[in-house]
Amino acid sequence: MLLEAKNVSKAFGDFRAVAGADLAVDEGEIIGLIGPNGAGKSTFFNCLAGETMPTTGAISFAGKDVTFAPSEARARLGIGRTFQVPTTFEDMSVLHNVMVGAFLRHPHRDDARERALRVVELTGLRAEQPARSLGTPGRKRLEIARVLATEPRLLLLDESLAGLTPAELREAIALVRRIHAMGITIVIVEHIMEVIMTLTKRVLVFNQGRVIASGTPEQVVREEAVIEAYLGRAHRRPAGQ
Amino acid sequence: MTLSPRLGICLLAAVLLAYPLMLPSAFYRDIGVTFLLAAISASAWNIVGGYAGQVSVGHSMFFGLGAYLPLLFYNLWGWPPVAGIPAGMALSVALALVIGLPTFRLTGHYFSMATIAVAELIHIFAGTWDFVGAAIGLQGPATARNLWDLTFRSELPYYYIFLAVLALVLVTTALVERRRFGFYLRAIKASERAAKSLGVPVRQTKMRALALSAAFTSVAGSLYVIKTGFIDPDSGFGILVSVQMVIVAALGGAGTLFGPLVGALILIPLQTATNSWFGGGGTGLTYILYGGIIVLIARFEPGGLFDLWHRLSPRLRKRAHAA
Repeated sequence: MLLEAKNVSKAFGDFRAVAGADLAVDEGEIIGLIGPNGAGKSTFFNCLAGETMPTTGAISFAGKDVTFAPSEARARLGIGRTFQVPTTFEDMSVLHNVMVGAFLRHPHRDDARERALRVVELTGLRAEQPARSLGTPGRKRLEIARVLATEPRLLLLDESLAGLTPAELREAIALVRRIHAMGITIVIVEHIMEVIMTLTKRVLVFNQGRVIASGTPEQVVREEAVIEAYLGRAHRRPAGQ
Repeated sequence: MTLSPRLGICLLAAVLLAYPLMLPSAFYRDIGVTFLLAAISASAWNIVGGYAGQVSVGHSMFFGLGAYLPLLFYNLWGWPPVAGIPAGMALSVALALVIGLPTFRLTGHYFSMATIAVAELIHIFAGTWDFVGAAIGLQGPATARNLWDLTFRSELPYYYIFLAVLALVLVTTALVERRRFGFYLRAIKASERAAKSLGVPVRQTKMRALALSAAFTSVAGSLYVIKTGFIDPDSGFGILVSVQMVIVAALGGAGTLFGPLVGALILIPLQTATNSWFGGGGTGLTYILYGGIIVLIARFEPGGLFDLWHRLSPRLRKRAHAA
């Protein structure tokens, strides 16, 4: 087991954003987290990434307890993440952005640069382009490149494929596949069902802070609780159908 | 025709080396020394304020410590002021750690607020503590007892000492800029959240930047006092000392190697000119000048003049090619 979250809850005052969520990820898997807006998946995702500390529960990574480890410590252990709204380092070039990630495992400039150049090539970016001149697809790609340069074992993608045109989406899906083929385990939060259906073998569905369904994408889209969560009670199928 | 960076640096070094020989009058040499001191202080501030984006508005506390310690050593034990420089640096680094440890745990403007508060506390404290001369301050050696007192009649030796220190600060900053430390500082400035997610030890990196910046600022204070031979609470710990560092760096371009130099090159002659034109009648004009510059930078050119030049130079080159 690479990542295990047990009974994770997160409360903000009286409001429980996540209520006892479990997740177990084996090395080499791609798992999708889906759910309607406000379902708690982003909060749960942030608990996994170390940006938010859970109120209760435990999270372990590669056998180590990381429940209260900050995000920089998790990055060192091999957990990489992207952000819903890309946060590129605007005043730097693409290469320098990626070098920040590469410095984690390669403290010397030349080694970090070499590693970063390889990642930039893999992600199809231009090394010398200023980050501020990139559009949304480029920024999302740069975020992925930056985190790849840290050489993660687990990659947490937070809606990294949202807001792309169909052509850009196809390219992005191909990129995620290439990353997965490198042996990197992936947990992906996504609204776009095409991404989930195409990329993942297992999906967890969140609603009101709880995991209401899990299984293959084909299984979960047929679950009553999932249909109700997305479309409302009126869309539940009559019994026997 | 374009100027390669290496050639530009050589040209700049040549101009700075030749300046006091080309303009030998005491007035111009004094402007040169003041310019170098402002450039050293602002370059030191730039490490934490410009590169890491942690805006300190209380760097006068490090400048003041660097200024007081040499004269305190002289007054207590008769040691040459230069002997107090390492003590000033050590105390400044210790103070930087005391301020940074709690405030770098927080996000937002707490660090800036803490630096203002601590600097003002020290300012008031120095002004009332007899051990450091209270409001009157401390006096250095009036005439040189030996070479170690670094007391010269001419401005020329001071100019070259200051120039050597500026070169040291700039070389250190250039090395920082190229290494992992520099990349981390710029990443922290852009987004602490993203930097952390890439494994950057944010608090530790900010602490190191503050300590380095404090040490160099302290040296600037020591240089000031070695030249003037006198320090009081206002000239050491006054808020204007801090504000000048911020403005010089921001005007030229905070977070760039030569930005503080450009800022000092504009601000110091301007300040000297206003002081000469208005004399005693212009008391308070410095505040107006600083305020005006802050408004202009914030409104029109937050990246400073160096950034403006970077944006304009390719266009100018293109236009020159087209002509």
